[in-house]
Amino acid sequence: MAVASQLSAAGPLAGLSVVELGDGTAGPYAAKLLGDFGAEVVKVEGPDGDSTRRRGPFPDGRPDPEASGLFLYLNINKRGIVLDIDGERGQRALDRLLADADVFITNLPAERLKTACVAPAALRARHPRLIVTTISPFGTDGPWAERRGDELVTYAMGGIAYSTPGMPDAANDLEREPPLHPTCFAAETITGLVAGLATLTAVLGRARTNDGCHLEISQQAAVASMQHRDISTYSYWGGTYNRLLNPTTIGRMPNFYLPCRDGYVTIPAPMDLHWERLVEAMGEPAWARTPAFSDGPARTDNWIELRMRLIDWTMTLSGDELYGLANQTQLPIFQFYPVRKLVESEQVRERGSVVDIDVGNRRAQMPGAPFMMRATPWSLRRPAPRLGEHTAAVLGDRTGAPA
Amino acid sequence: MSTAPLPLPLDGVRVLDLGQFIAMPFCALWLAWLGAEVIVVESRRRMTSRTAPPFVPGMEGNPDASGYFNQICSTKKSCTLDMTIAAGRDVVRRLAGKVDVMIDNYSTGVLEKLGLGYDMVGKLNPALIMVSCGAFGRSGPMKNARGLHSAVNLFSGVADVTGYVDGEPRILGGVLPDPLSGTYGMFAIMAALHHRSRTGQGQFVDLAMYESMMTLIPEAVIDLTLNDADPQRAGNRDRQKAPHGIYPCRETDTWVAISVEDSRDWNAFCQAAGHVEWLGDARFGDVESRLAHVAALDAAVESWTRQVSVGEAVDKLQAVGVAAGPVLRCDELLDDAQLQANGSVVTIDHPTAGPHRQLGLPWRMDSLGVEYRRAPLLGEHTHEILTGLLGIDEAEYARLEADGVLS
Repeated sequence: MAVASQLSAAGPLAGLSVVELGDGTAGPYAAKLLGDFGAEVVKVEGPDGDSTRRRGPFPDGRPDPEASGLFLYLNINKRGIVLDIDGERGQRALDRLLADADVFITNLPAERLKTACVAPAALRARHPRLIVTTISPFGTDGPWAERRGDELVTYAMGGIAYSTPGMPDAANDLEREPPLHPTCFAAETITGLVAGLATLTAVLGRARTNDGCHLEISQQAAVASMQHRDISTYSYWGGTYNRLLNPTTIGRMPNFYLPCRDGYVTIPAPMDLHWERLVEAMGEPAWARTPAFSDGPARTDNWIELRMRLIDWTMTLSGDELYGLANQTQLPIFQFYPVRKLVESEQVRERGSVVDIDVGNRRAQMPGAPFMMRATPWSLRRPAPRLGEHTAAVLGDRTGAPA
Repeated sequence: MSTAPLPLPLDGVRVLDLGQFIAMPFCALWLAWLGAEVIVVESRRRMTSRTAPPFVPGMEGNPDASGYFNQICSTKKSCTLDMTIAAGRDVVRRLAGKVDVMIDNYSTGVLEKLGLGYDMVGKLNPALIMVSCGAFGRSGPMKNARGLHSAVNLFSGVADVTGYVDGEPRILGGVLPDPLSGTYGMFAIMAALHHRSRTGQGQFVDLAMYESMMTLIPEAVIDLTLNDADPQRAGNRDRQKAPHGIYPCRETDTWVAISVEDSRDWNAFCQAAGHVEWLGDARFGDVESRLAHVAALDAAVESWTRQVSVGEAVDKLQAVGVAAGPVLRCDELLDDAQLQANGSVVTIDHPTAGPHRQLGLPWRMDSLGVEYRRAPLLGEHTHEILTGLLGIDEAEYARLEADGVLS
């Protein structure tokens, strides 16, 4: 097992010191991004550990707090300590860590922070250069400040769920196909990214002002901020997309998401140029030259029949065949990749979009660098900590004495 | 009453924005709000977002009245240059020598063909940070493939975890791959600026939209490669919480999101819904039972939510500490009291388009500032940038203008 002194400083954020008091995805992901790019992150867990240790996925589904795939992914490149922040000793140890740190990131509830003596205002007063990044479901002002929210609720209140399935996919029936949340921690991941970004802007700002900063992130606002395009549409025009497929919301036709023989494809061909290429790719079927489909407005008027005609065609071909045809004819047809096909694709392999991770005593793969920095690459310097793995080392490092 | 404005965290940072559509223009948008000087290079000969809707009603086609442009280019400067002619490319190259950051999301290889790729501008300006974004990134066998947001959804695996129970893969609403990759681009720029402040070294960043989206699905990637388990589409259900879903309310197409975490929550939920009899139902006794009977559970929950309005359902559940919220439409976000209370909704006036609202930064700062200003008129800053930043004299400026370089 490597120890800190043997690890070379790596990454653009080398030397930045971060203390994370996080749980779940949002806080830990913010700190992970900083750690992945070189910051020294100390993760503080309570005696029970981060709840993600109980989430999995586990090898063969057998729960083990040291073999939760999601925990191991979210907490690579961190050292981990256990502190009882309800007790005075733990609180003193935490404050000693913060005295030497550049950044404190937390997504614990405000009440918890208060009882642990790390409320943002108090921290700012005690450690004026500290950057304090707090994440809450809805922000700390307003009618929802005290309300409960999690991944699903903040996502629903951020606008994306209502418009999913989204263009060029669509619901067939508004009542039977409710708004959808993807089965992943989308809201928390977006929020963690936003929190990491906000933190770095304050690190740059501090270089000039020599003053710390409290950054207050609302998970709902982070999700909503990703709806930029749809909000512009409303702000200038009024109205909103309602999950149903129709030419008013989707524009010119064809622009469809359709089943094919072994999967699903998008067929966007809204301009005459695209339509001509599509007709050629289909082998010039007679129906395509009838007046019902002869020009853009006709295709848009007759989009329901057009959709059925295209399904008759796509169902005769595989996704690979359709994608191959698209490349020959320069049509932006694209096919659905299951995660399995994605992970096995040449693109992912060649770019290293997934990297190895040990989960329990088995090798698996996880998403790697979110972008490639040529001069200061992403690196996996250490695996996620076992519960309390670095408690003695870290507290000794910082204070000269174990807690 | 006036107070001194707070310092802007990115004051002094200059960005050359060659972004198209949403991803990279979004990346530069927040940088501008945080104090960076962002120069948008555009041309009357080849406009993208300025010619795209939504326009102010009655001003269709007016390049200064597009909401698409005005909202994603708020606070930026506009410099018109025709990059199809050599003299225009030369000015862009000179600009690249004067900025800290350059961003683009043209198709792979386009900038290189114009002599404006990192291979060229990185030599002219070794301190330059360049973020270059493509649907599939700038390397790998698919680097030249075209990809709209839907293709990125379909390729990244996110569609594989989105769908109704046992149904087909579905595409997310909005255009999430665009702003999400733009936000990763901002993070990369911040990290690279931090590195440069200590070393003087600039660098190239290769940003793939699909890799940004893959960060949303670590569980699915790990479960597949660890346990050979393909994702099972599960609607809005969770594998550890029940009930967990989006349920219909009394009015058509209105929905409430409800997430019950533990037995305390379940007890509170049944009381609030007025269905204490569910507490005695063996199928719903503990979370394992509720997960095992999740279809019956969801039907029971729906039988209650259909009787009430969204507001009533949310208020009743929140009053007893159960996580619940309305499914908001995009048109409701700007009017949402909570987003407004936290300063997320901003109104920006514009001389042509008038005042419009949009969402600002999703965070607040106590010691650093943020500035929301209007988008530039087409070419508004061309003269200022060429004669000021580049030191071009008036005679040469006039010549460039006459030669059509500045259109």
